[in-house]
Amino acid sequence: MSSNGESKCYFIQLQIDGYLDGDLSEAQQGVFMSHVQDCSACASEFRYAQTVQDAVMELPQIECEDFVLEPIHSLTAAERPMKEKGYRDSLFTQVTGLLNSIPLYFRYGFSAALVAVVAVAVSFSVVAPIEEPGQLVASEQVEQYSPEDIALALQELNVAMDYLNQLSKRTEVMIGDRFLVTPLQESINASFQRARTRENDPLQNGPI
Amino acid sequence: MRALYQQAIDQHRHRVLSFAHYSLRVREDAEDVTQEVFIKLWRHWQKIDHEKLGAWLMRVAHNCVIDHVRKQRPQQTNLDQYAEVEDQVGEESDASQLDQHHFKRQLQSAIKSLEDPFRSIVIMRDIQGMSYEEIQGSLELSASQVKVYLHRARRKLRENCKLRQLFEEQIADNSAAKQPIGLVASNDKGNGHVQ
Repeated sequence: MSSNGESKCYFIQLQIDGYLDGDLSEAQQGVFMSHVQDCSACASEFRYAQTVQDAVMELPQIECEDFVLEPIHSLTAAERPMKEKGYRDSLFTQVTGLLNSIPLYFRYGFSAALVAVVAVAVSFSVVAPIEEPGQLVASEQVEQYSPEDIALALQELNVAMDYLNQLSKRTEVMIGDRFLVTPLQESINASFQRARTRENDPLQNGPI
Repeated sequence: MRALYQQAIDQHRHRVLSFAHYSLRVREDAEDVTQEVFIKLWRHWQKIDHEKLGAWLMRVAHNCVIDHVRKQRPQQTNLDQYAEVEDQVGEESDASQLDQHHFKRQLQSAIKSLEDPFRSIVIMRDIQGMSYEEIQGSLELSASQVKVYLHRARRKLRENCKLRQLFEEQIADNSAAKQPIGLVASNDKGNGHVQ
């Protein structure tokens, strides 16, 4: 076949898909078919393309059985679509919502009671002097407490303080710093202040 | 809403499963992809333009298939080998049926081996009969791109060596049996189709 014939074969073979899709005009179809009937190479190529195309189109649609989608039904039964349920709330929003759902008087009353309990606990805990045992003023009342007793009291005070700090943190998470932190701090400061005052007056430096 | 969702499932599930099946060629994987697509449909139900639901589903299916192929790539060779072993089973059955069976199996393998978007376009257009507009919407391509890619995909499919070999064997068998006139494979000019 001449190079002219080869280029014609090339262009005819480019038109195979167009012919199979019915995209060619009648004139183009005539030229195409007359060439294919005369050229065995193009005829073979055309037949191959047609066979492949027919085989592709004959491939069946795959049936999707019910059992395939069963897991979806159970999942969708438990889960609501995104917009309907809204985006997931943050922890802060959830806590705020929970607190807001509590009646107002209960919220404030509970907080005040909690603060009062904490303050009383602190005032009972901060009774032991915070000075080093060696610095204690010698007096009859002070002599009743050995250094071991004072160290033990300090240790207990530290434990109490740790507990109160934890309690404070937990309460702060619940109600913020509206009621708790400042009064507690003031109460503790006042206790220390009283302890310092008693230090200056040995007669008042009792256990309570 | 649940009724509408169920209606959408009933309407599109075969198409989604078919697309996944011909893309992946492993039934279980295709089912996984189908489930994934419809779970996404449920989760995004309120945000979807329901007039273009079909295109949306096919786009999601297309993306899920790509993700799946990426995840499964290391195991894929073994699956193909398994498919070839399956091909060799049943040598005793009727010759012409076997030829057709081999040809179709090889054809599916050739479709699967096409790169994207050629593979998706062939499946959507030639197997599922989707319109050009639907394919455009599903793959986010222009109309001209879809047509060009479709022709290129078909040409790539025909360039598959095993497929052509099977076809030529069939032709040779037929001509030996019937001596057909004219249309016989004699590709001695080297038109560049056979590698």
